[in-house]
Amino acid sequence: MDISIIAYALNLASIYALMAISISMIWSSIGMINMSHGATFAVSGYSAWYFSVIFKPIIFSFFGKTLLAQILMGSVLIGSAMLAGALCGLVIYFLAFLPIHDKPNYPVRSLIITLGINIASIQLLLYFFGARNKGLPKIFGFGRFEIFNIPIRYDQAGTIISTSIILLIMLIWLRHSRMGIEIRAMMQNPEGAAYSGISRRITAIPVLMITGSLAGISAALLSQTIFVSPTSGSIPLIKGLTIALLGGLGNVPGAMIGAILVGFLEAIVGSIQQRYVMFATFIFIITILIIRPRGIGGLLDNTRE
Amino acid sequence: MITRENKNPILYKVGRKHHEYRIAPKINKIWDRKRFPFTRRHFLKWRGIYNLKSLKRERMLSDKLPLWWLLGLGFVLITTPFLSNQLIGVSSIFCVYATINILWTLIIGTAGIFSFATLAVVGVAGYISAAANVYFDVPWPFMFIIGTFVGLVFGSILAAPSTRLDGLYYALLTIGVAEICRVFVVQLRVLAPQNGSITKVDSFIPNELFLQREGILIGFFASFVLLLLALLVWRLINSERLGLLLRTAKTSRENEAFAEAIGIDFRKARLVVFIISSAALGFVGAFYAMYFKSISPSVFSLDQLLILFAMMVIGGLGRADGAVVGAAIVTFIDKGLIELGPLRIILIAVIMLVVTIFAREGLTGARKQFRSFRKRKSGERRALRTEKNGEVMPEEATEILDKQEIYFRKFNKRLRDKLKKLITPELIEEHKNAPTGNHSDSLARVLNFFRRAETADKYALKKIYKEDSNSVYQVIAFSGVKTHPPRIVDDKEYSKLSEALHAVFVLRVNDLLES
Amino acid sequence: MDKILEIHKLSAGYGPLRVLHEIDLSLNKGERIGLVGLNGHGKTTLIRAITHMTEWQQGSIKFDGIEIGGNRSFGAGRRTASIVRKGISVAPQGDAIFPGLTVRQHLHCGAFSKTAWNEKENRINKIFEIFTPLKKLEHVLVGKLSGGERRMVSIGRMLMEEAKLYLIDEPTLGLAPKIYSSLLNAIWSLNLKNSSMIIAEQNVGLLSKNVDRLIGIYAGKLRGEVGHVELK
Repeated sequence: MDISIIAYALNLASIYALMAISISMIWSSIGMINMSHGATFAVSGYSAWYFSVIFKPIIFSFFGKTLLAQILMGSVLIGSAMLAGALCGLVIYFLAFLPIHDKPNYPVRSLIITLGINIASIQLLLYFFGARNKGLPKIFGFGRFEIFNIPIRYDQAGTIISTSIILLIMLIWLRHSRMGIEIRAMMQNPEGAAYSGISRRITAIPVLMITGSLAGISAALLSQTIFVSPTSGSIPLIKGLTIALLGGLGNVPGAMIGAILVGFLEAIVGSIQQRYVMFATFIFIITILIIRPRGIGGLLDNTRE
Repeated sequence: MITRENKNPILYKVGRKHHEYRIAPKINKIWDRKRFPFTRRHFLKWRGIYNLKSLKRERMLSDKLPLWWLLGLGFVLITTPFLSNQLIGVSSIFCVYATINILWTLIIGTAGIFSFATLAVVGVAGYISAAANVYFDVPWPFMFIIGTFVGLVFGSILAAPSTRLDGLYYALLTIGVAEICRVFVVQLRVLAPQNGSITKVDSFIPNELFLQREGILIGFFASFVLLLLALLVWRLINSERLGLLLRTAKTSRENEAFAEAIGIDFRKARLVVFIISSAALGFVGAFYAMYFKSISPSVFSLDQLLILFAMMVIGGLGRADGAVVGAAIVTFIDKGLIELGPLRIILIAVIMLVVTIFAREGLTGARKQFRSFRKRKSGERRALRTEKNGEVMPEEATEILDKQEIYFRKFNKRLRDKLKKLITPELIEEHKNAPTGNHSDSLARVLNFFRRAETADKYALKKIYKEDSNSVYQVIAFSGVKTHPPRIVDDKEYSKLSEALHAVFVLRVNDLLES
Repeated sequence: MDKILEIHKLSAGYGPLRVLHEIDLSLNKGERIGLVGLNGHGKTTLIRAITHMTEWQQGSIKFDGIEIGGNRSFGAGRRTASIVRKGISVAPQGDAIFPGLTVRQHLHCGAFSKTAWNEKENRINKIFEIFTPLKKLEHVLVGKLSGGERRMVSIGRMLMEEAKLYLIDEPTLGLAPKIYSSLLNAIWSLNLKNSSMIIAEQNVGLLSKNVDRLIGIYAGKLRGEVGHVELK
């Protein structure tokens, strides 16, 4: 077990954090459990691959193999993934939110609908793109460097840094912007939000689109190390769900802490024996949930239950 | 809306009841109800009704579900042996999936525990019983017992966190369990040499007949019997004591608190239901191993689990007939239309989407949903139609003590509507010309109505005697109360009686038109 | 005689239970009316029904000439946001505050229209003048405030918007007399200009002299209407 584990752990943790936070946020603001986040992940990965295939020859013919070309390539990748994620969020809005959001039994039904969307998208991707994996070009290039004597690969560093920046931006935006306050108001008291002119139907659109782009970003970042395939979204979805539960549904800081914990756990167990990673993760989560049934957040969910 | 101008008034039905089929049997046969021998349980639910129109006693079947079950299952049983080999295989798979679904509905619907661990239990029981048969030479009838026992034990392990964890958390836990089992089984080399599967399991299908038609037929009949056993388990648990206890504690926190306050230990009942269905699932696991004569890690796959869940959702969560109907539809699409490739799974997902968005309770609950929707719409239209002082809506009717009032208002409203139509300028002219004396039919009716009004606020004429022995008339209105004097309506004084009478008439007509 | 609110034969309730029976009410511009009645007789239901928070069964509501009713019972609360944006401000029963937001953010939430948002600083200062204790608590999480302060935040949020109709539901519920007297003084001292106000309250004595009309509600029907009441 060498110290490069820390980098690996943080890498995993940042990607899981993106998925877990999106699931947590959707649950607490609009009360929907989004099982199709994995599908969003996979679709964004595919669109990133698609656009990179289109743009790669163009960019490299204009700029050659310079740093600028790399940066452009990277931005195309992440940009297309974000866009695809946002569009997926919109689709989920129209299918799983709008028809049933004020009808009875809404949480269970939205879960089932998003499950159906998940299954359908995986099959559609299989149908269109085939089952073979596709690779994405590396944004951050190969190579390693060292910080405090810890060796880090470029892509790991890129992932960690970009995720932290994005999460920071999002947290600041949630806290201070008008729309962020509206979303938080909706999370905390839906009746008061309605009286303040905050309409749930309208506010759900940015929530779903933003969480969709978060999934897209995590797809673009994770696909540096893993190939894109139709089922590539299932494992991040399950991990994201479990970490969101671990942190306490609706609790964004809890989800982040949970992501870091699970990232480290996976890195450590993975270095001992790769096979038992999933096993150990689940046992860990189950234990914590038995001790603290509301997750690490531990405090009451304010309105949703 | 089409208005009808005929003598029959339009009668609006309030709360439509669906049409019931009734039988009018001979006199002695009315109470003749067959029972299961040696029990007091009836075959079918006959009810005796007294027909108010024909004044005869009749019988009707109160619950038609057993007939549907008989039809459906009978259809499957009779037609399948005549199909091709592949389709018989599809039928048997349908029976097995329907069985798993029924037991899963017991867990989700009756016990209310959102567990996704069914396939895990089936798989683990199947694996252990198959291993016992292949490696320890346990004869195949004992596989059933081993499977049930393994299901029991595994179920008890899984049941423990269910009270402690919230619904969603528990669901995720059980999904994880299936994944863990799959990984475990693949890793454990000792259990399964060839990439995780155990083959050459003994079964009720003799080895020689395995892939022949006879073997396939035996497999089908065995799975059909399995389905019947599952229905028996469903009936025994859901409609008997455990199920009834759990029905009080269903779906909401308040109901749970209510059940606990009465003294129903619903948590223990839920655990018991869970463990029983897990044991039954273990039985199914052993059957599964014997039917295919092998068992592989694909039994733990998440996709299979989701398809089973889709079956339940399409049919209707919480109902046994929903589980079977959903299994039938999805199995037919999944295995019957196999040429479509991945499209058929998309079709299943789309059907699941459509059913969840529009049919709240799945396909079996669609009828009830439609009826309640229709009732709500007709209630709203009725609310649109009611006018003040007119027909009384049911909610208001319960608050009025003297029910005679309701009929009086209804009649009064109809009468007033009719009279309003009769009032024309010619009528008023007619009255002006001849306040007393021969009147036409309509004027007579109008005047009769006015004369019959109650005393409160009724217009009358007061004769005021003046000094020069000319009397003038003034319009007053009675108060209707004993000690209170009538009030003066306005200052106009009429010297001629006919003018005064006409003034009173005009006032009354105005009031009628406004009411 | 401009009517800002015309309610005609409103029947509302919860599910099969009908709470309000064919209520007729009309409100002129610049009028302040008090709605009095005991608990459970329909005051809160009436206020919630106007903003469509409760399902209706029958009736029509015309706000400023525009029909905001509808015979189809949408999900409760579905159209509330759009109705509120037409110019109604509500201070509901129980405050409906957001526990994790600060006082200042609450007031920001209250200013949902463009004009209010542009002038929000002025209005926030005005509200701090009216409710002086809030000034010190500007950045405190409202979840940690006491009942009286929460009520002030709720009413302050309502006042951020210059609405045509203010609906206040039981402003003195659960508060001690010392606290609610200042609250009520602040409400009475508001210059309504052209807006109207409906105050639902159990304590009739507090409303006397300060409202133009006093309407009683009993068992879901409006009974007794008096103007300019002076209770000794």
